[in-house]
Amino acid sequence: MNMRWRALPELNLHARAWDDEFVVYNSLSGDTHLLGSAAAQILLMLQQAPSDAIALAESLAPRLQLESELDEELAEQITHLLSDLHTLALIEPIRL
Amino acid sequence: MNVSDLTSGELRRQLKKTGIFLQTGSFVTHLHTSIPSVADGIELLYQDYPLADSHGFVDFHVRLTTPLNIRRWFKPQVFFQSDGNSPFTPLPLDQAFPMFEWGLNWCVSSHANSYLIIHAAVIEKNGYAAIMPAPPGSGKSTLCAALINRGWRLLSDELTLVRVIDGKIVPLPRPVSLKNQSIDIIRQYAPGAVFSRKVSDTVKGTVAHMKPPSGSVAQASEIAQPGWIIFPKYQAGANAHLERQPKARAFMRLADNCFNYSLLGLKGFETVANMIDQAMSYDFTYSILDEAVEIFDALAPPLST
Amino acid sequence: MSPSTLVLRAFREPDSLVSLGLAEWDLLLRQVRHANLLARLYTVLEERSLLQQVPSQPLEHLNWAYVVLDKHAQAVRWEVMQIRKALADVDIPIILLKGAAYALAKLPHARGRIFSDIDILVPKNRLNEVEAALMLNGWAVMDLDAYDQHYYRTWMHELPPMQHHKRMTVIDVHHAIMPQTAHVRPDSEKLCAAASELPEYPGLKVLNPTDMVLHSAAHLLHDSELDHGLRDLVDIDSLLRQFCSLPNFWPNLVERAKEIELTRTLFYALRYAVYVLGTPVPAEAINAARIGRPSRFTLFIMDPLFHRALMPDHPSCSDWLTGIARWLLYIRANWLRMPPLLLARHLFHKAFISPRHK
Repeated sequence: MNMRWRALPELNLHARAWDDEFVVYNSLSGDTHLLGSAAAQILLMLQQAPSDAIALAESLAPRLQLESELDEELAEQITHLLSDLHTLALIEPIRL
Repeated sequence: MNVSDLTSGELRRQLKKTGIFLQTGSFVTHLHTSIPSVADGIELLYQDYPLADSHGFVDFHVRLTTPLNIRRWFKPQVFFQSDGNSPFTPLPLDQAFPMFEWGLNWCVSSHANSYLIIHAAVIEKNGYAAIMPAPPGSGKSTLCAALINRGWRLLSDELTLVRVIDGKIVPLPRPVSLKNQSIDIIRQYAPGAVFSRKVSDTVKGTVAHMKPPSGSVAQASEIAQPGWIIFPKYQAGANAHLERQPKARAFMRLADNCFNYSLLGLKGFETVANMIDQAMSYDFTYSILDEAVEIFDALAPPLST
Repeated sequence: MSPSTLVLRAFREPDSLVSLGLAEWDLLLRQVRHANLLARLYTVLEERSLLQQVPSQPLEHLNWAYVVLDKHAQAVRWEVMQIRKALADVDIPIILLKGAAYALAKLPHARGRIFSDIDILVPKNRLNEVEAALMLNGWAVMDLDAYDQHYYRTWMHELPPMQHHKRMTVIDVHHAIMPQTAHVRPDSEKLCAAASELPEYPGLKVLNPTDMVLHSAAHLLHDSELDHGLRDLVDIDSLLRQFCSLPNFWPNLVERAKEIELTRTLFYALRYAVYVLGTPVPAEAINAARIGRPSRFTLFIMDPLFHRALMPDHPSCSDWLTGIARWLLYIRANWLRMPPLLLARHLFHKAFISPRHK
């Protein structure tokens, strides 16, 4: 089941980056998070438009320069990542 | 006028009757107590501290008292009060002076929100501050006590105050708290240093406080810039060495060691981020104090970005 | 006690504070802090552009309080959003009460009002579903002995306080604004029916203006904990000043008090707001509220009790009567909520069997 996700509406993030890692402050919750570059990119993409794990994998694969057979594995990893971002109250599933 | 300008008798009389108005860093504390061991501690360790105007504004009103019930004599206790509030359960009377020190730290760390307050020792040389955050047991106090006896200026041994408006480090030099073996180690390392008597069976073990160098107290109004963030760890037998830390990780570790990071919200985030930008972050392992001093003395000033 | 005590002067005549000396500022801030009104003092001075005239040392303390105020506002909004999310499937009107209501309705005096729990009002017959939904989303009833649990559920008008396991925040779920055993019991359904929507937060409501005032008054006079007496009176004063310009506000207020049987409460609230804080209440309203006036003898006893009990719990505001006054008012407040026999048993239990650390 390929759930669609979006960044929380009115999410207001402040971020700083050093060497591929990001620290992010969520002005709504007051929480601070450490994110790897993949998570940060996904969050940025979801802030621009809602998406799902497969579509995100397709967008990210070329940037990571992966072979196409690994898309499925990447999609699975992204699914876990999305679940983590949800737990951190940064994104939410879109209810139909 | 300093505490040293009062005779012992006069100091004790004032502490008991009207209280004294002590200036520590940028805070004025009104201390009122009849407990002799507190007076002893003040007399021994606070000689260099200025006394503030008794008709002015006071930041913290502190009283150390003994109870009015049977616990005044039987297994006697001491209460710490900050403007009528008792934030702690009472301790054995023997621990009154350490209680004053811990209590005053509590006053600052739970109120002074114009600073990001890090649970860290901080020392200075050539205008740059080395900040040493550390959970208990890392040996930061021992390291701090050693370095200030080898040319570094003490800004604080427990509370690093980072001014939110400009990111500068504001000193709060106070007696350095040492425990267990560290007391004797530093006694040997700095034979001229002045110590309060040891107090045993506290929740931290045996504790004693060391008088801060007079120079550190005299320079309490001289601010510093963040230079290095160093996470110390004492490890028996280890060679002293520094290891660069990735900045984002150092950010999280630093934030984790703050009393009011969350409370400061976005300003807390930005203050830590700016420190991480400016200063270089390291893990530091050591066992021999002289080696540690050598490494610290060799620290290069941070490159301006 | 006289209104010349510094802390009262601060809220009656804030402009006069600029003439204070440093020692007076010291005492004022200590009194205000004990009344849990330091952040509120900051906002009062800020609204009047008086902050720049405060000497630097006391100003530093006020700035410290501002940090708390700011964070508190963020925390309340976030917490209410989480509560709304947790209760989304229960599909009932959720009415925010007190501090959370003032904050989300963006009432001016909400800024600087620091409080610890979120209070909501829900229909009594849906209480179990609400409790279940909250538990599913991470809240749990706080550690109370069996007696206190029973007290809350059976006699009071709320679930026992529930704490969220991660955020450590506390929610108080009420089904009425007065307890089941109380002398007067305003009709919750009437309150719910008249509640106002919050357009920015679908699914959330607040009490309408007159009900908000009456609930605040009931809280002041009937709740057992009197430590926040002055703070509650400041609430009432602020609400009255906020709403007095609404058409027909004062006649509606008195009518509503009659309708939900809180005339005695309204009488006291207006009386003390005027006396202590100088709230501008029109003479016609004071006269109309006299229908709730108690006997002259009762008033003779109550006035000094309230005046002393409303003062912050600070040594500089006490005299020998203060402790007794608070105790008597505690008995009185609980008397209104519980019949005498139940009261005696409850106080005994509270004094001797529940060694809870306060």
